[in-house]
Amino acid sequence: MTTLRLEGVGFVYPDGTRALENVDLAIAPGEAVAIIGQNGSGKSTLVRQLDGLLRPTEGRVLHDERDIADVRVAALAATVGIVFQNPDRQIFAGKVRREVEFGPRMLGRQGAELSAAVDAALAAVDLADAADANPYDLGYTRRKLLTLASVLAMGTPVVVLDEPTTGQDARGVRRVEQVIADIAAAGRTVIAISHDMRFVAETFARVVVMGGGRILLDGTPGDVFTEANWPTLESTFVEPPYAARVGARLGLGATPTEASVVAALASSAAAHDADQR
Amino acid sequence: MLVLATSAGVVRPLVRASVLLSLPITISVVLVSVFTRAGTTVLFTIGPFDATLEGVEFAAQTLVRLFAISASIGLFVLTTDPRALVLDLERRGVSPRFAFVAAATIEAVPTLVERAATISESQRARGLDTEGGVVARLRGLLPIVGPVVITSLTDVEERSLALESRAFSRPGARHLLWAMPDTGWERILRWLLAAVLLALIVARIVGVPLPVID
Amino acid sequence: MLRLTDVGYRYAGYARQVLHDIDLTLADGEIVGLVGANEAGKSTLCLVASGLAPGSIGGALSGRLEIDGEDMAGKPLHEFATRVGIAFQNPATQLSGITGSVFEEVALGPMNLGLPARETVDRVKAALAALGIESLAEREPRRLSGGQGQLVVIASLLAMRPRHLVLDEPTAQLDPEGTRLVGEALRQLAKAGTAMLLVEHKTDLLDALTSRVAVVADGTLVADGPSPDILEDPRLDAWGVEPPSRIRLGRAIAAAGMDPARVPA
Repeated sequence: MTTLRLEGVGFVYPDGTRALENVDLAIAPGEAVAIIGQNGSGKSTLVRQLDGLLRPTEGRVLHDERDIADVRVAALAATVGIVFQNPDRQIFAGKVRREVEFGPRMLGRQGAELSAAVDAALAAVDLADAADANPYDLGYTRRKLLTLASVLAMGTPVVVLDEPTTGQDARGVRRVEQVIADIAAAGRTVIAISHDMRFVAETFARVVVMGGGRILLDGTPGDVFTEANWPTLESTFVEPPYAARVGARLGLGATPTEASVVAALASSAAAHDADQR
Repeated sequence: MLVLATSAGVVRPLVRASVLLSLPITISVVLVSVFTRAGTTVLFTIGPFDATLEGVEFAAQTLVRLFAISASIGLFVLTTDPRALVLDLERRGVSPRFAFVAAATIEAVPTLVERAATISESQRARGLDTEGGVVARLRGLLPIVGPVVITSLTDVEERSLALESRAFSRPGARHLLWAMPDTGWERILRWLLAAVLLALIVARIVGVPLPVID
Repeated sequence: MLRLTDVGYRYAGYARQVLHDIDLTLADGEIVGLVGANEAGKSTLCLVASGLAPGSIGGALSGRLEIDGEDMAGKPLHEFATRVGIAFQNPATQLSGITGSVFEEVALGPMNLGLPARETVDRVKAALAALGIESLAEREPRRLSGGQGQLVVIASLLAMRPRHLVLDEPTAQLDPEGTRLVGEALRQLAKAGTAMLLVEHKTDLLDALTSRVAVVADGTLVADGPSPDILEDPRLDAWGVEPPSRIRLGRAIAAAGMDPARVPA
């Protein structure tokens, strides 16, 4: 299991745009972290530092406290797998199974080990029945799940998801939530970029808010979405989840998820009853 | 031509693009010419094939010509503003649809390059090694070519639907809002180039000896 | 008013009826939401309503499409363009890429219609004003943010003066700010009388913007009614649609045995 650390990381694109400024971030093995913030706040640039697709212009990126500056991207792919937003920018095989095989094969898996990894990944995203189908005969939702399976099959200790629920219908979103729960339960680190605050608050134990290339907030959903932080969230065009807004309006404290609103209402009702007696 | 390219500031991308684009042809030209060109001075032998000096010379000639062609096309593509081209073609009577296609073709190159880069990222993140030796890089082309083609086709489809909804296929002329400035300088240069080309063609036909790469 | 009566559609070269028995009406100033699982037929319905299917992509259309009382069967695409505009989710492929400024971009449509220069200019100015983006007039289209790009796309459509707009997930690729910008713009347009069909997965957005919602499942409409009713329908889940946040929260509260009416709307 791998610890990830960004130490004083800054990044400037070749055209001069600064995308990251002095970012310090440590992610322990098995954590589930969501990265949120407006477009252009540095979220995509940050995750690309994790597997070497982009190299820091300042600072260091460390895997298990070792600088990855001299390690090739192909080698880092064994540690950090990234699922990008648009499935069509990745799918190239004529069969679903072959597409999923690509990643693990690149990492050197063969034979029975390879088949097992592929089967498990397909089952996790509910695509086992489509193993021999042409990816382009699947709809958009299933193609997105296919790219997720392709990375899952690689068995990387860290999985990064770029906008996993965008464009998905209700079933697709639920499937993604289930997969994340499963891989987190297996002890793998999950990092996701998302604009869906309900999905973020309900699925991740830690939320990192980015704005202007910097980390603005870093904590649990309850901490991050609490009313005191709303001006900061607004500065990076993040709207707190509905549950948090309702909770604030009813004076229930920090309630980032539906369950927490229900719990808060229940305990305030109980307190109210206790007062009455 | 390299002088022009330097003054336009596009030498490096031009050279890179020209070399990359002509790579497949270059390889086949080299292989065919070097080994099968009839010649007397044998340099080395691989199996039944002799590599001759004449073959190498011929390959060199062909490659220089190829480079000249691809570089001039590349120069045109890299320095032409598609918008200006579209406007001007239309003002001179070309149908707006054709003019658009010409401009879009020019735009296609930088778009393709960008697209290939994004796709390459996805594949590298799955372990595709693009930093290794030549063989590794060549093998790595397949997982990139497929998605490039498909996303390009999807792109074209989306674009054409959007254009249709802007009445692009309506027949008839349009009243353009703007005009492309045409300086006297440029007009003179254009006529001059046409005249020189004509002169070269006539000279060739008539048999006047011209400096040629031989 | 745009009306589809008993409409069915098959893509060229495919045997499957992607749409069948569709009856749908869009009245002036109405924003109608369209929801459903992916591949249910929402995008196809958009292409049919805008005339692009079969006009541009071929295929077999059955039934009637009437716009402002006129049967649109067999009409050329540029005649559709002045009656119904269609916007898709990717601003990059909808902006022509051949213009140097937003003003020129929005002018493309009117120019294609062969309008005199003076009228084109007037229309562009009106369209930019309708969306509140006059300040973007001199900007380069390719350098705009996603939300701004979509506003320019909508302005470009408006410059053709259609009374109807079909929008297929216009905010899918936008961040919350972009979504907000587009939502606001659509609301203003509806007030000015434009009829809109809005396909979105974001039911919270539809909850705020639409007066009616229609549900597509397996190629046909399975529900069509006032937004509050449809968005509360317990069958939404089976139809592949996530109910709006306030409905979800209300249900969670009710499931815990408490009164959901305590939750402010």
